[in-house]
Order: sequence, then structure tokens, then C-alpha cells
Amino acid sequence: MRVMQSPSSMEVSITGKCNLRCLYCFHFTSPLDVPQDLPAEEWLTFFEELGRLAVLKVTMEGGEPFIRPDLPEIIEGLVKNRMRFSILSNGTLITDELAAFLAGTRRCDSVQVSIDGSNPETHDACRGQGNFLRAVAGIENLKRHGVGVSIRVTINRHNIEDLPEVARFLLEDIGLPGFSTNAAEYMGVCRSHTDNIQLTAADRSRAMALLWELKEKYPKRISANAGPLAEARDWGKIIQDREAGREPATGRGHLVSCGGTKTKLGVRCDGVIVPCILMPHIELGRINRDDLGAIWRQHPELQRLRERHLVPLRDFDFCRDCDYLPYCAGGCPAVAYTRTGQDSHPNPDNCLRRFLDEGGHLPHDNP
Amino acid sequence: MTDTDKPLANPLIVLRKDFEDDDWAILFDPDKGNAFGLNPVSVFIWQRLDGQHSLGDILKEVQASYHGVPQEAEVHIEEFIDQLMKKGLAGYEFQV
Repeated sequence: MRVMQSPSSMEVSITGKCNLRCLYCFHFTSPLDVPQDLPAEEWLTFFEELGRLAVLKVTMEGGEPFIRPDLPEIIEGLVKNRMRFSILSNGTLITDELAAFLAGTRRCDSVQVSIDGSNPETHDACRGQGNFLRAVAGIENLKRHGVGVSIRVTINRHNIEDLPEVARFLLEDIGLPGFSTNAAEYMGVCRSHTDNIQLTAADRSRAMALLWELKEKYPKRISANAGPLAEARDWGKIIQDREAGREPATGRGHLVSCGGTKTKLGVRCDGVIVPCILMPHIELGRINRDDLGAIWRQHPELQRLRERHLVPLRDFDFCRDCDYLPYCAGGCPAVAYTRTGQDSHPNPDNCLRRFLDEGGHLPHDNP
Repeated sequence: MTDTDKPLANPLIVLRKDFEDDDWAILFDPDKGNAFGLNPVSVFIWQRLDGQHSLGDILKEVQASYHGVPQEAEVHIEEFIDQLMKKGLAGYEFQV
């Protein structure tokens, strides 16, 4: 397989610390949850290597990146080494001063803030009391300084019926250009709260119906790469293509869902290099000790993951006799791992047949 | 104060060659987030925008390194460098 000389982007977990304890956090209780953060100097040395490798962009996440008092120093290191950056945040620690600093760098693509409700009651149900107002204040600080804000709404059992109000609040009241949605996945802390958090087939169907209507009401302003909206779109296409007798897209019927390891790598907050922040159990090396370029080009685990697209779904008992198999892409390898213990396996939580068997229905079928 | 006739790549701009087995590349401007595709000859020229090569020097090296270089190559190189300058990707050093 043809592989780029170096990753074009990186995801780095610059801290394992967070001021919140959200009920579906993927970080805590996962292999990402390691006790020690690296000092800023280690990140600065690593960013010099990224600069030499012509990496273009770094996404900083955690934990909560803004909890680090030395975050500006770390960002200066990215700027000095000619990269752009984005930050994933809960929004609660973004002061006016920090927003002004981000704007001043001219390198910040966006800060993604998690907002799960249109009001404190809904948002704080999973993220802790007082955090809705703090997150909204953070968004306002970013907006005031012209820093790009993206919003991620994590759909769970507590916020489905609030989705229309979430859309109104974000798009009309705050005036953001758009937002994206996903769903609480079986990772990290969520695994301990799944019956209280994760969507059933009925919940998913309801969320899909609401999001499908909202997508029509706010054209091109609500997006999703995972969760109910993405599933409604992707599964709807599978059903339509199959019924129309259309050929599946190239590669379908194999584990083709994720191409992440062809463009980027991750680093845990302890400096361990991983294929993806969501697959932190696969340790490829350590920053400032191992050659990132060599890991990228030669590590056997990366080569294995990059060849995942050659694994046919017909090899799995889970997929046996599935009518949708030729059209299926297999889903996220990280969730496949947390569910089955194997990343080269279809993700059971992203299975159209199972969704329908459990009574789920797509919005396109609604009367 | 006058500018030299030896163009210089903006040191803030990143040249990224994705694949070892071809000479295509992109120029990435991190301040603006813009990227520009470069063909192999453009990469060759970019790598000589070091403040040491004049337009004539670069033309000579292109002619020495590639077969069938057209007569109008000098104009093309000049236009390419002008485009880079208009985009802020290259400039001239000033001598005091």
C-alpha cells in the first residue's frame, strides 16, 4: 500500500486531567487514563519533530486542554513549528484572555465545545451542575475574539427530546453557523453507565426522526460522522441502493469504515504514540525517544490497521446471512475493540440489521 | 535600500511532499490555512528560492535537469515566482 512519508495531522492528548466527570467520557477508565502529564518541554521538543516532518495540523484534546496553565506555551510551540491547530474542549475554562490569545496566534482552526442541551438541566445531567452556563460563557468568549467555534452534541438518553431546542439555541439564539452530532459510545466511563446513557433502537429511531426534520429545517447546518444522523443517512442509502439493485460502492463488504491511520496518528498524555486517540491500547512507541517517521512508515501494527480494508465481512459469524453485507463498511474499529476485544471486527453498535431486528426504523420510512 | 534579484521563499511556508516516489508537493501557508499544489518542476524551483539563486541561475539548473525545456521556460519561471510573491509565499531580500 502507498503510504505518505509522514502523517499530515496529529491528535495529541496534552493532558489526562479534567475539571468535569461526564458520564460518557471516553477518556477516563480507558487506556488513555494514565496518571502523568508530560511537561511542556516534552511537547515543545516533539513539535519540532512534527515541524521537520511537515505535519500541518495538530488537534489538542484531553482530558480538558484548557486545564493546563501552560497551554499558551504549548501552542506557541506549534506556531513556531509552522502548524495550525484545533482544540477539543468542554468549554468551561475558556476565559476572555485565553480566547484573545488563541485569536492572536492566527493559527487556530477551531475550538470544538461540547454542548448537550439547550438548558442547564439537560446539559448538566451528564456533565455536572453549573457547566452549561460555563460552557456557553466560553463560547461567547471565543466568538467575541473571532475564534472559530464548532459544537459537538453528544446524543444520549437524556437529551433526545431536547434536540429541536438545542438546534434553535445554537443556530438561532447563539447564531452559530452549524453544529455536529454523535452519540455516547461504548468507551471509557460510558461502559459503566450504558443502561442509563446509550441509545436503544427506539431511542435511536426517535433521535433520527428529530434530526432528519431539523436537517430539513436548517439545511446544511447540522452534520454528523457518527451517531443517529449519520446512521440515518448511511443506512438509508444502503437500503435504497439494495432495493434499487445498485452496485455497492468500491470496497464495501469489507472493513473500510476508517482510513484514519493513513493520514494521522495520536499521542497519549504520557507521550505514548498510538494509532488513534480512540485506540490508546495499541502502543507504537514514545515521543522524543522513537522516530515518529519510522513508526509511521514501518510499524507492523499500523500496517495491519491500514490493511483492515482487505478483511471481508463474510469472514465474521456476526455478519453471516446479512442482506446488507455487500453495502456495509463495518463501522468504527475503536468501538469494535471495546465491544468485542478485536479491532479487525465489525462494530456491533453500528449494525443496520441489528438495529432493524431490535425494532428500529429509519426516518425515511416514517409515515 | 534595494532588493536583490535573488528570490527567497517565505520561511513560514511549509513544503510538504506526501509521497517519496513522486515529486509533487503542496505549499502550506499556516497563517492563512491555504494550500497550493506544486508539480515537480515547481518544487524544483521552490527549492532554489534561497536568496542565492537568481532567475537566470534557476533557469540554467532547470535546463540542466530536465529534457525538452521549452524556450519560453524563463517567462514561465518568472510568472510562477510572481504568483508566489502575490500570494505572499516568496519575496526578495533587501540589501541596505
